[in-house]
Amino acid sequence: MALPTDADLLAAARTDASAFRAFYERYAERVHGYHLRRTREPDAAYDLTAETFAQAWLARGRFRDRTGGTAGPWLFAIARNVLVDSVRRRRLERSACERLGVLVEAATEPDETWLDGLDETLDHLPAGQADAVRLRVVDELEYDDVARELGTTEAAARVRVHRGLAALRHRLRERLEAS
Amino acid sequence: MTALPSSRLATLGDELELACAADLSTRPRRRTRRMVLVAAVVAVVLGAAAAIAADQLSTSDVANSLPAGTAALIGTNPTCTAVKQNVEYHCVLARAPAPEVSDWKGTVEPTVDSTKHVNGGCRALRSDGLEWQCYLGQAAVDQQIVSQGFLGQYAPAPGHG
Repeated sequence: MALPTDADLLAAARTDASAFRAFYERYAERVHGYHLRRTREPDAAYDLTAETFAQAWLARGRFRDRTGGTAGPWLFAIARNVLVDSVRRRRLERSACERLGVLVEAATEPDETWLDGLDETLDHLPAGQADAVRLRVVDELEYDDVARELGTTEAAARVRVHRGLAALRHRLRERLEAS
Repeated sequence: MTALPSSRLATLGDELELACAADLSTRPRRRTRRMVLVAAVVAVVLGAAAAIAADQLSTSDVANSLPAGTAALIGTNPTCTAVKQNVEYHCVLARAPAPEVSDWKGTVEPTVDSTKHVNGGCRALRSDGLEWQCYLGQAAVDQQIVSQGFLGQYAPAPGHG
């Protein structure tokens, strides 16, 4: 039997907390890793992870499957917003955790350096590729919508996204090897 | 920099699952409580509340609630004028919305206030999505733009689709 997709889990999670737990298990380490790389503070990363999933729970009814069943782009967009909101407000974003009654304890004050280079990887791509990746992955548009937005054909949009993601993979690999 | 032990993430998963289950089980009761509270407030202090709200809500607040509710409206720079203060607004976008749909006319989208809660909704008046009629609170429910249950819901990020 095929594993349920993220979209399946989020749909089930409308009435079933265990389905959301399965979704959490699928992404918890990656989301935590994302926050830990940005903050370099384990406690802050833990709390930001909690807030990310708490917000995902509260917003699960609004998830729209536009990427073949995966909710990764949607979830990481939430993670990014939680991080950015925390830095802008100079305190860890925890409104969703408070609403759900999930205890978070870090007394960490967000640091603006957490946002250093947040989008720089995308910014290093050629404009056409960066726009295509942003529209497809961040905004979760279908390829025909990406094409319309870029004023090109669907095939060309697919090529731009493919090349952009390949360039991102290459760049991230270089950065990992350098660090 | 040390990675957290996965057991801590497992503990967080347990806490979240319990909180989510509690959220599911308490939601209907909470909604009922809220409705009772709203009814009481409306019955007792309707005039005063409306006057206070009229002071607090600006047309730019309404304009900001469009992209806060709908991702496709981000960057469209709406401006709104009050048709009926705190109830109905006419909003015009400076830029066309993202092409999520080929014909926006008649499309309805929720609006979200600065506290990230659904506060109403808008209906597109033109196919290009540049003009919207927006309604706040119960008026959006009456216009069948948002459901009674959706109004007031927490919406941390603009919706897609």
